[in-house]
Amino acid sequence: MLRTDSVTKRFDTVEALSNLSVELSPGTIGLVGPNGSGKTTLLRLLLGLLPPTSGSLSVLGRDPQQEPLAVREQVGYMPEHDCLMPDLSGVGFVAYMGRVSGLPRETAMSRAHEVLEFVGLREQRYRKIREYSVGMRQRVKLAQAIVHDPPLCLLDEPTSGLDPEGREEMLGLVAALSRLGGRNFVLSTHLLPDTEGLVDQVLLLNEGKLLAAGPVTRLLSDRNPETVVRILGDVPGFITALSRRGVEARSQDSELRLVLPSGDTRPVFEAAHETRTQVRYLGPSVRTIEDLFLKLVDEVPGGPAP
Amino acid sequence: MSIAAPRYGGAPVARTGRIYRLLTIFHRELLRRFGLGTMLVVALTYLAVTLILTINIEFASLTGTLSLSTFETPYASPAWPFLMLIVATSVGAGSIAEDVGNRSITLYLSRPIRRVDYLAAKASATGTWMVIVAVGPGLAGLAVALALGWAPASLVLSGAGAFVATGLLASVFFTGLALALSSLTTRSLYAGVATFGVVLSLEIGGPLVSGLTGNTSVAYASPITDILSVAQSAFGISGPYATDPLTSAALLAFAGAFLVIFAGWRISRVEVVGE
Repeated sequence: MLRTDSVTKRFDTVEALSNLSVELSPGTIGLVGPNGSGKTTLLRLLLGLLPPTSGSLSVLGRDPQQEPLAVREQVGYMPEHDCLMPDLSGVGFVAYMGRVSGLPRETAMSRAHEVLEFVGLREQRYRKIREYSVGMRQRVKLAQAIVHDPPLCLLDEPTSGLDPEGREEMLGLVAALSRLGGRNFVLSTHLLPDTEGLVDQVLLLNEGKLLAAGPVTRLLSDRNPETVVRILGDVPGFITALSRRGVEARSQDSELRLVLPSGDTRPVFEAAHETRTQVRYLGPSVRTIEDLFLKLVDEVPGGPAP
Repeated sequence: MSIAAPRYGGAPVARTGRIYRLLTIFHRELLRRFGLGTMLVVALTYLAVTLILTINIEFASLTGTLSLSTFETPYASPAWPFLMLIVATSVGAGSIAEDVGNRSITLYLSRPIRRVDYLAAKASATGTWMVIVAVGPGLAGLAVALALGWAPASLVLSGAGAFVATGLLASVFFTGLALALSSLTTRSLYAGVATFGVVLSLEIGGPLVSGLTGNTSVAYASPITDILSVAQSAFGISGPYATDPLTSAALLAFAGAFLVIFAGWRISRVEVVGE
């Protein structure tokens, strides 16, 4: 669905994206990285709004530079920043954007009503956008991105500025849309927890460089050699007991990191029994996309980003 | 809040073409500029030009001096071009500035339209308003005179041609100026003040510099002087003109086109740097 081949984007002296090569299949994709990692630049490249300095891209099988209009007909875009037309009503705005996207007038209006109901703005759709709260603005931004029923939606920081409840609702909307089938999403965010349980593929960026890309399950399992054990009791004795069973552990307070041969957890429980300590937690060290991201940043030569 | 799937189940909808999308933006932009202030200026222009024109036509008709030059009366002073300037400021200054200011330009450019479509829609909408105020009143006055039988149809037709030619040139220039200055800022107020300020500076500064230096070609820098020269020539008034009408016409057309292209270049800059 999305492919970039050695894509580099440079703004004067700043390299926003550096030699990015990824291929992602249809589904819900998390585009994850801290602010300034190149996420928005990548979205703009995918939309054909910017030309790459070098390399090539493909969106739904088309080159955004060669066929920008054909690509944008198939793509909905929800920008990060406020970009609404305050003088229009919610339904007027969404219908207008539908028409600019190529829908006939009547279809645009009926779909505007449908998507505004979907995003929970049924009661407020006739109010001027200038009267909308931050949460309502985010929802109407989502509505304008999906009004023309695009197979691919690029959502740039959809939870930006939302309170926890609004964030949950927005992520719920995206999850509901992705479950409908036939629609693919790229969810760009610096809030890594936003992607948990929502995306099935992830593209991790840091300072314009690719850290990892691919299915979340595969990335988590590939990067998961360590096990974390939290215990209550004699930590040095527990480590010694583990060592006698051929398992080397590193401790950080009551949390231990160790590599279990073949994933066999028996040495942990035997050591606990021997030293009369309680095992409070035992699990993989990389459990979430956030863990994965932090681990990958740590692995980058030069250490973690400031 | 209830979450329910949008009812997208119908057959795929045939998409409209680029022209339809361009017209959609044009239509919104045109209607967006309907405001009390703008409508008052437009109404005042129609009233004043029609009255001046018809009274002069009737007087000339009665005295037997009716000719093409009679129709030039509304252009006898800079008042009409100044009213055009006010409308250009009112409708054109916010055209791009507001979209850049509220960042809705990002939404436009993420849609299946080209940058030139956006610019063409904006220019067409501002240009339409300019034609309404720069061409329409003269034609309305002629229509009244024709309906009342004060002027023969052949003369009215010639007069209409002169009004259209002069009005279109003025429209092109003012549209280009307003769009160019609108693309330079994110606030329509600044763009409006700049549009007004640029024309006023040229009107006041041009003759001043010309008088001080003795260089008469400086007069070409004054757009209203250019418009009046073109009008005098179009309506068959013999010179001398403040500027050569052909040169003035070429300057107005060139400046208008150049300024629209400049606005397009600015739009591309805004997009690239992500302002």
